[in-house]
Amino acid sequence: MARIHINHVRKSFGHVQVLNDFDLEIEDGEFVVLVGPSGCGKSTMLKILAGLEPASAGTIHIGERDVTDLAPGDRDIAMVFQNYALYPHLTVAQNMGFGLKMRGMSRSDIARRVEVASQTLGIEHLLERRPRELSGGQRQRVALGRAIVREPQAFLMDEPLSNLDAKLRVHMRAEISALHQRLGVTTVYVTHDQIEAMTMANRIVIMRDGSIQQIADPDTMFSRPKNLFVAGFIGSPGMNFMRAPLRIEAGTVMLDLFSQKVSLLIAPAAVSHLAGQEVIVGLRPEHLGAASENTTNVQFETRTRLVESLGGDKYVFVDVPPANRMLREAAQTPAITANTAQRVTTGAEEQRRGDSIIARLINPGRLAAGATIRLEFDPRHLHVFDPHSELTIA
Amino acid sequence: MKVNTRSLLWIYAVVVPLCALLIFPIYWLFNTAISAPDQLRQLPPSFWPDAPRWEVFATVLRERDIVRWLGNSTLVALGSVALSMSVSVLAGYSLSRFRVRGAGALGMFILTAKMLPATLLVIPLFGIFRTFDLIGSLWSVILAHATLIIPFSTWMLKGYFDTIPRELEQAAMVDGCSPIGAMVRVVLPVATPGLAATALYGFVLSWSDYAYARTFLTSAQDNWTANLGLTTMKGDYYTNWGDISAAAILITLPIVVIYLFLERYLVGGLTAGAEK
Repeated sequence: MARIHINHVRKSFGHVQVLNDFDLEIEDGEFVVLVGPSGCGKSTMLKILAGLEPASAGTIHIGERDVTDLAPGDRDIAMVFQNYALYPHLTVAQNMGFGLKMRGMSRSDIARRVEVASQTLGIEHLLERRPRELSGGQRQRVALGRAIVREPQAFLMDEPLSNLDAKLRVHMRAEISALHQRLGVTTVYVTHDQIEAMTMANRIVIMRDGSIQQIADPDTMFSRPKNLFVAGFIGSPGMNFMRAPLRIEAGTVMLDLFSQKVSLLIAPAAVSHLAGQEVIVGLRPEHLGAASENTTNVQFETRTRLVESLGGDKYVFVDVPPANRMLREAAQTPAITANTAQRVTTGAEEQRRGDSIIARLINPGRLAAGATIRLEFDPRHLHVFDPHSELTIA
Repeated sequence: MKVNTRSLLWIYAVVVPLCALLIFPIYWLFNTAISAPDQLRQLPPSFWPDAPRWEVFATVLRERDIVRWLGNSTLVALGSVALSMSVSVLAGYSLSRFRVRGAGALGMFILTAKMLPATLLVIPLFGIFRTFDLIGSLWSVILAHATLIIPFSTWMLKGYFDTIPRELEQAAMVDGCSPIGAMVRVVLPVATPGLAATALYGFVLSWSDYAYARTFLTSAQDNWTANLGLTTMKGDYYTNWGDISAAAILITLPIVVIYLFLERYLVGGLTAGAEK
């Protein structure tokens, strides 16, 4: 077990820069998840950490050692691959013992460690089989076994669950988390699935286009996203985005939202440069609820477009007034570029939304599409983003 | 079911005549070998001799140097396969794995060597071998065969290595192997079917060569390969086609045996289970 310090690592292939000044300290025993859309550089970073790719600049320390120029086998790390990469010509026991054999461990010691590790993972009955005789879940366990049997300083996992079916994935997710708690080994885990990141991580590192967007624990990531990208990436369904003109009236910051004036608890000085402009407003589906009485929450009436039932919860797609819609002719919106509008409104889910927003209602009773519904939200839950820098204002 | 039966009939209608066409020469070779010389010339031909000469194989083995020829052919084939494989395993692996400037052009260049007809290379090779005093030596044919085998086997192996996921080597390197160690301990065992198929290709190519052996070895009777020896059995005044056919069958047998032995390696599927 060890701390890992990734110190200003850069990586470029020719003129293409895939990692831009990646700087991260990972505490001993921490579970850190690198997450981001495909092509964001997260897998490249993991390969550099493993020594499978050289860094163009920067250093890496594992424990007290500078491993930047060490071969993968000398870094005392173990890696779990997306396709498991089990050696097809070896039995499960030989697969697990391969790394120990390479380190010159005696046969009896290897057998003992393989036995202990296989018991930990419940695969002791599979030891004499070959990988092709195993199911996907079993192969995944063997791949984990091959990693833990080495008792390395750190585990590196490259999307280890993405080849499993949905149900098994949830199961193995919990199992890997439990394994991490039991062994306490520093783990760096790469995924594109934000739910995996949220459920497993001590800390999440969100990446985009080779740059770190935010490093934070899951709750902070959810409640205080640093910018528009993080806000849109974390959460399922993702955050609703709208645009609203920002005004400062009598020392209060106001937004025109759902045809009403919504006052925000922000110091006017912080947003004075945006006064009179449109800003991007984010509101999570979880923070939109059915209207109640005796409340200071902002309430509004709207029409349902589509209702998706998940049993207890319902995702209700509701209308947004034209003034607050993200998708609009670019010419009308000088401040919010068409590019930004498109980015937060692309992807399968966003396409479906169109110019509606989603409310996640718990046990709302019967709801039909096209019905009129009254919803409310607490203005403190609004996220406000600078339309130029896309950074969070409040 | 009716459709199935009908399509099955169609398959048989095509496959059976095709097999018959392919097997007939082999059958005729065998028939010729065990027929008495005068029965070979009769019309209509007989499809099975009245008195099969089973002893012809023993006679040919006793009277001709077939065992020595087979030994030479085996040496040449094993030598050229060993040489070719050691070159093309490394070359194919490099072409498959390393991003080198001009790798594509290099690969195509290797392949163009395969496009040259073997006879075209005979003359320059003869000059080279004479310089190094190799004419008449088995080394000449071993080297000459390697020039034919290497380009194709390099491409064959590159194609096979391409199908092996890189993560296998990466896993091996994380487990403590050097890049060469990962290749030897993981990639090559996994590539066994591909290696076997490539080696067999080279072996058959070397075994069936006549042009090179005829050019480089004619002067050295002790070093004749089987094919070269076989052609010397044809006399100027009298040719015993029965004996030649028997010798031809004996020369073909090693290939059949090797094929049967390697067949299980030639069936792919060993990589199944490496990934998802």
